[in-house]
Amino acid sequence: MFLIMRYFAKLLKALASEASPGQIAGGVIFGMIIGLTPIFSLHNLFIVILILVLKVNIGMALLSFMIFSGVAYLADPIFHSFGVWLLELERMQQTWTNMYNNEWWALTKFYNTVVIGSFVTAVILCLPAFPLVKYGVIQYRRHIHSKVQKWKLVQAFKSTKFYSVYQTVSRVRG
Amino acid sequence: MRTGGIITVLVLMGIGFAAAFFITDEWVESKIEYQASVLNEAKVELDGFDFSLFNLHLKWDRLQVANRNSTMENTFETGETEFSMQFWPLILGNKVIVKNVRLTGFELDTERETDGYFEMPEEEEDAEPGFLYSVVNQVSSEAKKNAEVKFTDVRDDLNVDSLMAKVNIQTPEKVDSLRNGIQRTYSKWDSTFNNTPIEKEITIAKNTVEAIKINEIKDPKKAIEAIENLQKLRKQIDSLKTKAENLKNNFEQDYGSTRNQISQIDNWIKEDYQRALSVAKLPDLDVQNIGKALFGQNLLGDYAAYLEYVALAREYGSRLTGDEEGEENIPRYEGLDYEFSDKYEWPGFWFKNIELSGRTKSDIGIQGSVTNISSSQVKTGEPVIFNLSGEDENQVSLSLSGEFNYLEEAPRERFNFNYAGFSLSEARLSGSDLLPYELKSGKGELNLDLNIVDRRIDSRSDYLAKDISFDFEAAGAPKNRIESLIRNAIASADNIDVTALVDNTEGPLRVRVRSNVDDLFMNALRQTVSQEVENAKRKIEAEVQKQVEGRKEQLAEFKQEKEAEIRQRYEELQAKVDEQVKRVEEKREELEKKKKELEDELKNKIRNRIGIDFGL
Repeated sequence: MFLIMRYFAKLLKALASEASPGQIAGGVIFGMIIGLTPIFSLHNLFIVILILVLKVNIGMALLSFMIFSGVAYLADPIFHSFGVWLLELERMQQTWTNMYNNEWWALTKFYNTVVIGSFVTAVILCLPAFPLVKYGVIQYRRHIHSKVQKWKLVQAFKSTKFYSVYQTVSRVRG
Repeated sequence: MRTGGIITVLVLMGIGFAAAFFITDEWVESKIEYQASVLNEAKVELDGFDFSLFNLHLKWDRLQVANRNSTMENTFETGETEFSMQFWPLILGNKVIVKNVRLTGFELDTERETDGYFEMPEEEEDAEPGFLYSVVNQVSSEAKKNAEVKFTDVRDDLNVDSLMAKVNIQTPEKVDSLRNGIQRTYSKWDSTFNNTPIEKEITIAKNTVEAIKINEIKDPKKAIEAIENLQKLRKQIDSLKTKAENLKNNFEQDYGSTRNQISQIDNWIKEDYQRALSVAKLPDLDVQNIGKALFGQNLLGDYAAYLEYVALAREYGSRLTGDEEGEENIPRYEGLDYEFSDKYEWPGFWFKNIELSGRTKSDIGIQGSVTNISSSQVKTGEPVIFNLSGEDENQVSLSLSGEFNYLEEAPRERFNFNYAGFSLSEARLSGSDLLPYELKSGKGELNLDLNIVDRRIDSRSDYLAKDISFDFEAAGAPKNRIESLIRNAIASADNIDVTALVDNTEGPLRVRVRSNVDDLFMNALRQTVSQEVENAKRKIEAEVQKQVEGRKEQLAEFKQEKEAEIRQRYEELQAKVDEQVKRVEEKREELEKKKKELEDELKNKIRNRIGIDFGL
């Protein structure tokens, strides 16, 4: 319960923060890639660096990572099957072989069914997810945020000691 | 761009480098020592260990590999050694691939300061010893056996009673056990025939046949029905016949194995006789055995020691040549790795070339190379090849070369060892009482050739002692005639050439030792102890025969009697089955006849009534 409340608070805070919708959408898609793909993969190291270096919303990236990790656990057999299909594609064989024979590419472990299957899925999902999230944030801020603030549930939540502590900690963290 | 983020990344990278720098050598060292000790089944220790993660360079000042059979000794140890591991195999596959190793201070069989015992984890306990260890044991026991033969102690006045008290004559006991076995077999078959359902089924068949009253059958249909029933019954009786025959076959097979055991009795008697001879320590005065008795202990002892190294190599080789990959399964969220080329088909470890230098126990500096030590020769496609040689200032030379090839299903080992030019001054060529003399001078050469393919071994060991002269003065005056004859015979020999052949290319393992002085010794023995030995042997043979006399015949008679009883039971059963077959057949014929009579009768009646002849 405590965890759910924390995520909920994070989500509300991020949506209402000064971060631009693009930064929030960026956080979501980067978190999604890390969440959907096996965590100890080379590409995830690059994504983490991008999260740290680019001005994407880190809280949103963390939240997205947690949500999509759960999704990935359920979707593992689908990623595996998709990976098998990709790695057995006749016209891709030369590309895969070249990548496999190059040690740097081999480090990415794209020859693994789950790594390639989940990574390609995540990248494909990024294409609609980024504009959709961006649009969603804009619409939220324009039409929904003020209404949500008036919800009894939110007001009750805001009046809890937990929320005030959370706010203080967040302010201190910057 | 987020400045804080860039700083975070840089800090993390810094932490990573610092961790790499501060990873303690002790940690890596303890991991290597543990894994190597598990493989060796005794402690493997590294001193002065240094590991650099940046260039993957490894170095140690001393490596000790304890001998698991004698843990206060090392099988070998090395001095300063260094090598660098290849980057990509380690990163991509956790595989240790090393191009060149420089290994100095190599020494075999060194003493340890501390006990090298290693407590094996339970699951790593090894199975039974392999084929080569069994050869080592056979050769060692052959060497020991011949060393115990005392030629000069043979006496004519052999006390057979006291000798037989020491010899455990086993034939009577074995015969009794065989007799009990025959009795058990008899009881088993007796009970089988008593309880067989065949007898009951025969009675049922008999009653069924007798129940058919031919005279009471008035209708052809009933006759046909009865014939059909009889045909079914015949099938049942045939199946009874098959059952009885199966019983007979099983019984004959069972008794057949006993027959083989009875024919073993002669071998048991021979074994008892041989045991008595060995307790009496009577030499077998055959030129074939003289070489073994004279030089077997030294030469075969050396041979067994070298063969043990090969056995060790095969043992390690067989542990490492196994399929490194486990059963293919797809763990959740791990997926399946596709291999698009064999580029990363590396073995777990592969030391491509080891430049080795060191010293032997006799202080000969040796150097050479060992190539392609790997955890999977199938993956490297290369066997282990070693080539070492050296010579000291006195021209004493040593060379060792060979190949351990586990590329195919049948393991192959080839091994050549040559040690030449060593001094024989004050050395004894033989442990036998026939040649108890030290040498004043002489040079020796030992050459060992060994070829093993799976369980086929073919080897030759040559020992040449040249320019020798025996120190008869130190031994004093000859104690008996045999010594005096031998001294005269060998005094003029300035070379002794001994060859040991150990092979199993034509069946069981054969160990033969020949030398150029066998005939000289044989002649001396024939002139002296030959008669005493023959007399003693005759006495022993007679005593053994006395103890086992008649046992074989009694047992054969007992077996025959029991077998005949069971055979008779079978024949009775067989006769009953045959009788039933005969009865069924007779009944069927009677029924056929009756059926025809009834049919004819019926036809006549119809013809008489309506004037149509159905018989036409």
